Amino acid sequence: MSTNGLIGRAVKRVEDKRFITGHGNYTDDIVLPHQTYAAFVRSQYAHARILNIDTSAAKEMPGVIAIFTGADLAAVNGVPCGWQVNFKNGDTMKEPKHPLLVADKARHAGDAIAVVIAETKEQATDAAEAVKVEMEELPCVVDAAKAVQAGAPLVHDDVPNNKSFDWVLGNPIEEVNEAMDKAAHVTTLDFVNQRLVPNAIEPRSYNSSYDPVSEKYTLYTSSQNPHLIRLLMCAFVLGIPEHKVRVVSPDVGGGFGSKIFHYTEEALLTWCSKKIGRPVKWTSERSESFLLDAHGRDHVTKAEMGFDANGKIVALRVKTYANLGAYLSTFSSCVPTYLHGTLLQGLYTTPKINVDVTAVFTNTTPVDAYRGAGRPEATYLLERLIDLAAHEMDMDPAELRFRNFIPPFDGVQQPGYQTQVALQYDSGNYEGVLKKGLEMVNYADVRREQQEAAHNGKLVGIGFSTYIEACGIAPSAIVGSLGCRAGLFESAQVRVQPTGKVSVYTGSHSHGQGHETTFAQIVADKLGINLDDVEIVHGDSEAVAFGMGTYGSRSLAVGGSAIMKSIDKIIEKGKKIAAHKLEASADDIEFKSGNFTVKGTDKSIGFGEVALTAYVPHVYPKDLEPGLDFASFYDPANFTYPFGCHIAVVEVDKETGKVSLKRFIAVDDVGNVINPMIVEGQIHGGVVQGIGQALFEGAEYDDNGQLTNASYMDYCMPRADDFPMFETASQVTPCPHNPLGVKGAGEAGTIGSAPAIVNAVIDALWSGGHKVKDIRMPLTPERVWHAMVDA
Amino acid sequence: MQLAGKYVLHAAPPKVWAALMNPDTLAHIVPGISRLEKTGDHTFNSILDIKLGPVSGSFTGNLQLDDLQEPNAFTLKAQQNSKIGNANAAVKINLSPIGDSDTEIAFDGDVKISGMLASLGQRVMGGVSNTLTKQFFSNLEKELAKTSAS
Repeated sequence: MSTNGLIGRAVKRVEDKRFITGHGNYTDDIVLPHQTYAAFVRSQYAHARILNIDTSAAKEMPGVIAIFTGADLAAVNGVPCGWQVNFKNGDTMKEPKHPLLVADKARHAGDAIAVVIAETKEQATDAAEAVKVEMEELPCVVDAAKAVQAGAPLVHDDVPNNKSFDWVLGNPIEEVNEAMDKAAHVTTLDFVNQRLVPNAIEPRSYNSSYDPVSEKYTLYTSSQNPHLIRLLMCAFVLGIPEHKVRVVSPDVGGGFGSKIFHYTEEALLTWCSKKIGRPVKWTSERSESFLLDAHGRDHVTKAEMGFDANGKIVALRVKTYANLGAYLSTFSSCVPTYLHGTLLQGLYTTPKINVDVTAVFTNTTPVDAYRGAGRPEATYLLERLIDLAAHEMDMDPAELRFRNFIPPFDGVQQPGYQTQVALQYDSGNYEGVLKKGLEMVNYADVRREQQEAAHNGKLVGIGFSTYIEACGIAPSAIVGSLGCRAGLFESAQVRVQPTGKVSVYTGSHSHGQGHETTFAQIVADKLGINLDDVEIVHGDSEAVAFGMGTYGSRSLAVGGSAIMKSIDKIIEKGKKIAAHKLEASADDIEFKSGNFTVKGTDKSIGFGEVALTAYVPHVYPKDLEPGLDFASFYDPANFTYPFGCHIAVVEVDKETGKVSLKRFIAVDDVGNVINPMIVEGQIHGGVVQGIGQALFEGAEYDDNGQLTNASYMDYCMPRADDFPMFETASQVTPCPHNPLGVKGAGEAGTIGSAPAIVNAVIDALWSGGHKVKDIRMPLTPERVWHAMVDA
Repeated sequence: MQLAGKYVLHAAPPKVWAALMNPDTLAHIVPGISRLEKTGDHTFNSILDIKLGPVSGSFTGNLQLDDLQEPNAFTLKAQQNSKIGNANAAVKINLSPIGDSDTEIAFDGDVKISGMLASLGQRVMGGVSNTLTKQFFSNLEKELAKTSAS
């Protein structure tokens, strides 16, 4: 229990001092002795055979140290995929080599053909331009549904129909078909969940070096999980001994998923650093980021939801084509499957569900996890369907949800809820968040205003999204049985220094989440010490024993729980030390507010004195080791399942189709909250990213596989003045299976928000008599106007 | 990208045809051209300097006049390479007489672009191509006026 009240308090972020004063230390800031710089020769074409590479002129350019092409790397492995998904017939998914440099053909615009290393970045760039590459352009395919058709160009010559795998989950299709046939009403939606560019503010950057004396490599990488990069690079790509490799991720300026993955450049620069015997650095240009950072989403889906005469959902049938791009990125295969299909129960008691996914290669940038990863796709599918069904059946969308919600359960008195799609929810009170949301928005008033607006020729709409996500990724045994090739536990070491100050070494990595504050709050609270007396160390494989990194809203639920395990060990040992000093039995010692006290007496010693005694063990229990330093590994028992209700109120301009967001209400239940300010910040950021998908963002490829909006002049990012003040609230349903009772808040905003916006726009259009089923995201004025005019 | 349009010139088709088939004239009137070198009966090597919104580059490559039906029609094929991207175009050009002394030139074709040209320049491609085509025809008009004056 809380001893000094730091848990639950909106403590200001300790890391912000260095960030807002310009003292952050990012990979590109690091310049090593004898530094060299890399630049890449990349394919202009989406699909083209390499006929000849002439580096002779480039090699003579000033400052050039080395040029490597695919031929030099023929014996080096490609970067691996971390999750195996099997075909329906049991065959292993197709995972063609993702080479560090392509030797035979380029498979997407931006594919790397050669790397040039020079004394300066400018020299490297100039020389890269002087490399002459002769290519034969080949027909290409960019659309997932077209890629599987007979006669489509093959991205990989040995992958028939461009299919990486097909996959099915849920109840047998016959049962779902039967239930669907009996349904009183079936709502059908064909839609696209468009492709997004992740746009971390800090471009990817790597600086790799090799020391021939110690035979050790050091890789600085702008990554969300340095230990995972070390494991993948050493064991799967370069075959170098892991204990000879140090991987450091210093300050990282945002990831949103895109910096989870092991990118080819990380391994290539490391390989090059040994070849040339000097450190090699590369920082992505923004135009390279657009073309190369793994994109998100890109699903083409047909979904059907069947209802009985009372509006109860009786069946859900889903067919999705997931575009994986040209190669399998690290976690690409699990996103449209185990992070998407498994969430299609939503918050509803749907008894029969079948989801069928075909994952496809195309001549586009690889697609992988992007904030929410699979769960925004699942939420969009369900929440669009249920809102549309309400329109079609002339029912209230809130009422339709109430009829279908899984009843409240706490996971302690009542068991977890077993879904039809593999997962078991931990705890939930789904009607609670919708009730709260309806109160906050003053639902009856908004509906009245909507009617008045319609009378006055204006289009006002209200849209709902009641979402659930699987976070706290992940229980190793469960993900292992689903194909994950790694354990997804977390490690933490809590080292109490002799003076009672505490260093915490966590395998989670902070790149905007505020771990240095939140984790310190937990430790200071539990040990009854000051926040300033706790230092959170992360991002260095040499300092932190092991780590699985930060993604899937896992840092607090998994990383925080590992810290809790170490704290428990420290308190237990502290009690033994205190008991010895106080001449009492350890069982009689209680620890509270930083003091070890003999129960029922005023005999007490402080945490600092116990710490000092542990390191100066002059008066010390005979059977106890000195020191106060514990490492722990925490493997969660289950995923955590945050949920919530997002409500959008919009006005649509009849003449132009422009959508104005009037209000946005977010009620999120992320379990217990350590720092409400940081949670609210995460919700705000997530909501903006989700609304960015709904209204503004989308990667657009032309038929030749060229990304046509690869700059901020053409790719529309959400901005502060696009939004009203968000109205947020939280409900707390603790997670029953981790020591902090936390569920995770990093992705909630992105997962919940997009369908609320689109539903609100559709609702506005229906209020004006335009019975529109779907508008493709992003809802640009042009698309909304066309939807109105064409309906 | 589609490239299509019409333009009326104050000269009869045979005269317009002659101007278009004359490398010296072309070297004068093609916007951004810094070099045009005849390599065959109807093929040329060229260097073009073009700015497309945020990107600019020097394009080297070849031009070819194909399917010649004097003085009514021909196809212009171009394969141009640059550091900012490659362009590959095939444009059908028709000359039809209007009265005795005017010609309507209609062009219709497709330009394929790649690299930065596609990812950064695509948004302004339409506008820039319009400007360049207008420039080309107004240069051609001036050139035709010169030859009729002399």
